[in-house]
Amino acid sequence: MENIIEVKDLTKKYGDFTAVDAISFTVQRGETFGILGPNGAGKTTTLEMIEGLKSITSGEVLVDGHDVHKDPRLVKSLIGVQLQSSSFFDGLNLKELVETFGALYSRTVDGMKLLKDVQLDEKWKSQVKELSGGQKQRLSIAVALVNDPKIIFLDEPTTGLDPQARRNLWDLVNAIKLQGKTVVLTTHYMEEAEILCDRIAIMDHAKIITMDSPINLLKQSGVGSQVEFHVDHHVDEDRFKNLPGVQHVVVEDHGVRLTTNDPQRVLTSLFQLEQSAGFKIFDMQLHQATLEDVFLKLTGRTLRE
Amino acid sequence: MTTRALTISAIKMFVRNRQAMFFTLFMPTIIMGIFGLIGLDKVPKIDVGVVLSNPTAQTQQFVDQMKIIEAFDVKVGAEADERAALQEGDRSIVMLLPDDLIPGGQGVPETKIVTVLKNAGKEQQAQTAISVVTQILDKTTIAVSRAPELFKLNVEDISARNVRYIDFLLPGIVALSIMQMAVFSVSFVFVDYKEKGILKRLLATPMKPYQFVTANVITRLIVAVVQSAILIAIGIIAFHTHVIGSYWLILPVLILGSIMFLGLGFTISGIAKTVEAVPAIANLIVFPMFFLGGTFFPMESMPHWLQSVVQYMPLTHFSNALREVMANGAGWAAITTDIYWMLGWAAVLIVLANFTFGFEEKRV
Repeated sequence: MENIIEVKDLTKKYGDFTAVDAISFTVQRGETFGILGPNGAGKTTTLEMIEGLKSITSGEVLVDGHDVHKDPRLVKSLIGVQLQSSSFFDGLNLKELVETFGALYSRTVDGMKLLKDVQLDEKWKSQVKELSGGQKQRLSIAVALVNDPKIIFLDEPTTGLDPQARRNLWDLVNAIKLQGKTVVLTTHYMEEAEILCDRIAIMDHAKIITMDSPINLLKQSGVGSQVEFHVDHHVDEDRFKNLPGVQHVVVEDHGVRLTTNDPQRVLTSLFQLEQSAGFKIFDMQLHQATLEDVFLKLTGRTLRE
Repeated sequence: MTTRALTISAIKMFVRNRQAMFFTLFMPTIIMGIFGLIGLDKVPKIDVGVVLSNPTAQTQQFVDQMKIIEAFDVKVGAEADERAALQEGDRSIVMLLPDDLIPGGQGVPETKIVTVLKNAGKEQQAQTAISVVTQILDKTTIAVSRAPELFKLNVEDISARNVRYIDFLLPGIVALSIMQMAVFSVSFVFVDYKEKGILKRLLATPMKPYQFVTANVITRLIVAVVQSAILIAIGIIAFHTHVIGSYWLILPVLILGSIMFLGLGFTISGIAKTVEAVPAIANLIVFPMFFLGGTFFPMESMPHWLQSVVQYMPLTHFSNALREVMANGAGWAAITTDIYWMLGWAAVLIVLANFTFGFEEKRV
């Protein structure tokens, strides 16, 4: 796969404050790449430097082979952008608004079709101020698509949305992925990153701490899943410890908690043990490790504190 | 193509903005209506009180003669009442006429005393009244003494085109409303765009900032011309104003004035950080011009110290140039000074706007 974005030693300084500290990464064509991190980690600054909206203190950004610093206007014509606080003109209806943005790329666009793609075609006569939060975000994605971009940047697309609207937006992002477009998004929702992204860079304090696919991140971090259950009578702790795949065992009265990186294998052997050792398992729960746990392990902090 | 499409969108946005339309058309029309109907060009009459202790044919004749004079509002009353009215400020002068004002019989008549009580607070009106009364009395003296008249005034009527107050007012209102439109519609809208991140969103496209600014400037120039046309039409139809100047000269003056104040609008957009700050800053600059910039009264009627300030204001030259052309039919030559002033202000304000206004929040 070929790289569509190459970021090398990208740095942004405001006086003495370093907002982005010499980060490097690449994004492949057709990939959905997520930058995950708490507020103030430098996600938005990174995105805006790649988009040509903020000047670069040092380092290099190539978008589809073009240097953003040298040719920002060309890069801007190749990408679609949704900013964190997307606001649009009052006084134009949605169709006029989308078509006006088309004109900014010297394109004549079919406003109704773009609105239909984000399920806003029935609202075409409305003005932006009449839209709900989720509708505004969908509109801003429609506007980001007016130039049929190769890459689309979404800066915290679901922040402040209710769960229903969030799911709705995820479907939309997946539909964009299916068109073969590259998607780069920032988020501080772990679930969102896990569901949408092929690869994730975890950012904290202006630096990328780690970068991989969600599954690998979970595996490599060594944060295990947990199997919790109750037994009808006391079972010796060692019998659980000897099960294949179990890393750690806690037994309190009749409650047992097993930590593992391979829950399937543990569950299979656990049920075999239940048969052979003659105890009964009830109230079983499986807690899968999440990126939230990975982040906690890597930084010692939770994502939103 | 980009600029044209942006202009069309900007026009739609302007026309659909009720607040902008109110300030652009409705308010100037109301101001013109109010001041046009008050009719400041009707000179108020001079109140003259006359006291006759015992009305006689002679004194009555005198009073009738006074009443013919249009500038006077003559009231006859008892001395106590008239003195009271004078003290209240309701009379400019009160005359106490002796009963035997014009002596009959032969020989040298004795001098009669006509006492005039003058309202010291209305010196000008009182003096006018006194000189007219003196004239009437002098004529009477001449008539009675049968002396030959040495002079006779031969007054001929010449039909002149007098500049009425509404003729004076209309160009001022046009200039004023262009100032209001240009300054407020730019500063409110652009600070709002800046605050909401709309300008930043535009920067994320390949559009060049000057294209967006150009579209908005063209929009407002069109609005200025349409707005002026409507106001002039209302002036002509409703107030029978005379516009005698060339419309081909009015147009460039309008455009120059608009550009000048659009420059001010963008300068304010650069200074104001929030929409809330816009009216404070804009009114600080616009308000003095609103009242003193030659819209409602001529600069010449102001005290000297004030004139020395007012003569530098952009609006003063704009309304003056428009008035010279519209009401007096002046040509280029007569308004060159004003045009130079306006060009100067336009240049200064555009440079200032470039300095303060940018699409990105300037980091200090």
